Amino acid sequence: MQNMNTQKQNGYMLLFRSDEWYEELSHDEIQKVISQNNSWIEKLIAQGKAKPGHALQRDGATVSGKNGRIVSDGPFAESKEVIGGFLLLDVETIAEAIAIAQRSPTLDYGTSIEVRPVAEECPLDVCARELAREEQFASA
Amino acid sequence: MLLFRGTDLRKGLSPEELQKVTDNWMAWFKRLTEQGKAVAGNPLEREGKIVSGKDRVVSDGPFAESKEAIGGYFLLDVNTIDEAVAIARECPGLPYGIRVEVRPVAGECPIAADIRKEAQFAQV
Repeated sequence: MQNMNTQKQNGYMLLFRSDEWYEELSHDEIQKVISQNNSWIEKLIAQGKAKPGHALQRDGATVSGKNGRIVSDGPFAESKEVIGGFLLLDVETIAEAIAIAQRSPTLDYGTSIEVRPVAEECPLDVCARELAREEQFASA
Repeated sequence: MLLFRGTDLRKGLSPEELQKVTDNWMAWFKRLTEQGKAVAGNPLEREGKIVSGKDRVVSDGPFAESKEAIGGYFLLDVNTIDEAVAIARECPGLPYGIRVEVRPVAGECPIAADIRKEAQFAQV
């Protein structure tokens, strides 16, 4: 389990996950949430805590299978919660990143936010080295 | 944007095989960057939290050893989804069960764009 105060030099990624949270809202309400969301993000950028993020369109494709043989429409494969956008945070602890995520205006409408530490190096690479060491140790 | 799904790739691979996949992956990213086709990319740690709902509940992953979890992303600078899909098909993780989600980055919030279009349509 991760220590909540662990220092991370690479920041955090917020992944905004949602179903169609806005379906039951009126245009005015949606507009209001979007404006609140925009000013929340602009404020974080002005404070140097976030880099400009991106919204993702709800369409797309998923590539899978050996050599990418399978191309299916949409990101909807098995997951119900589609990633609707992301934001990169330049903060040092996951506690700070969580505190920022908790102030997201869209949470009131049933969205959820993944808070993920950006890795300094590929976790698979680290894992490969560890496995190699373990193997060496076992054969010694 | 390419989102790499699946953080259980290492299952059943030897250290050498795993190292080969990661080396290929990094070489692939380096080549795309040199060609100006990738503008950003990062692996994500196999850990994290989820914040959800009105009550701002904080819960754990699962982000490790999962078929669904996002393990990293590339931000591509290409003009068509076909080009992005063609690049996704080169992903060295595909033979090991990784799935690549290819998503157009929106110029503006797609929800805002939708309601503006609907509003314009209603006026006609």
